[in-house]
Amino acid sequence: MSTPADTERAAAAPDGFDELIHAPVRLRLCAALDHAREIEFGTMMTMLDISKSALSKHLSALTEAGYVTQRRAVRDSRQRVWLRLTDTGRAAYRGHVAALHRIVGSSQD
Amino acid sequence: METHEPISRDEASAALALTEHSRARVAWAGYPAWYWLLSGAGLGAVAYLIMSPGNWDLLGAAAVAVLLIGVTRAASRARGICEGHFRSAMTLREKLLLSGPAALVMVAGAFASKFAGWVPAVAATAVFALYAGTGLAMGARADRR
Repeated sequence: MSTPADTERAAAAPDGFDELIHAPVRLRLCAALDHAREIEFGTMMTMLDISKSALSKHLSALTEAGYVTQRRAVRDSRQRVWLRLTDTGRAAYRGHVAALHRIVGSSQD
Repeated sequence: METHEPISRDEASAALALTEHSRARVAWAGYPAWYWLLSGAGLGAVAYLIMSPGNWDLLGAAAVAVLLIGVTRAASRARGICEGHFRSAMTLREKLLLSGPAALVMVAGAFASKFAGWVPAVAATAVFALYAGTGLAMGARADRR
């Protein structure tokens, strides 16, 4: 059985390009979380304009890789789930963005 | 180890555009209108208190600042985005666009208030209008994207 760290190693190339993050929805999800401490599940659904099941699927992949954590909190007798990028996830996302910049930059030469 | 297919420059540019879109949404979208109105009013009140002669100006400004922190926390919960105390999704340019004009009015008002008694009220109103107006406009723009 693979551990989150194994999944991460399989997803990220040495140059930082990360196949797991590169999928458009997951890229937007990680980009949003990189600029916030936490984002609520419902807000993320609205932001990405996707269904609950689709967001859950993408979150499962990122959570399994150790990139995202989910925190449940009750407020006004309503349970809300808050999403947060882990340190590993933040490093992977920023590495991926750096790889994208390199691709754009190197193509300009 | 699994290797990735190289992507083109256009694909990489498109991916970077997606990340910028997400950042802009986190920075501006979803704020309730009352947040911009209360923040603008609070900053206007701070400007008025600082420019007006009196002994309670700093204490009053500190009290308004505490209220503004509470407003910011309530807005974070309402929009479902917690940016944290020291993190902001806004770029430096966006921060200057939002706060720069109001800050300039405060500085100019502080100078001009030595010469005319009506300046603090006018400056406070201008600070409110500039800050709340910019916030509402940028928020509406981000919500439409």
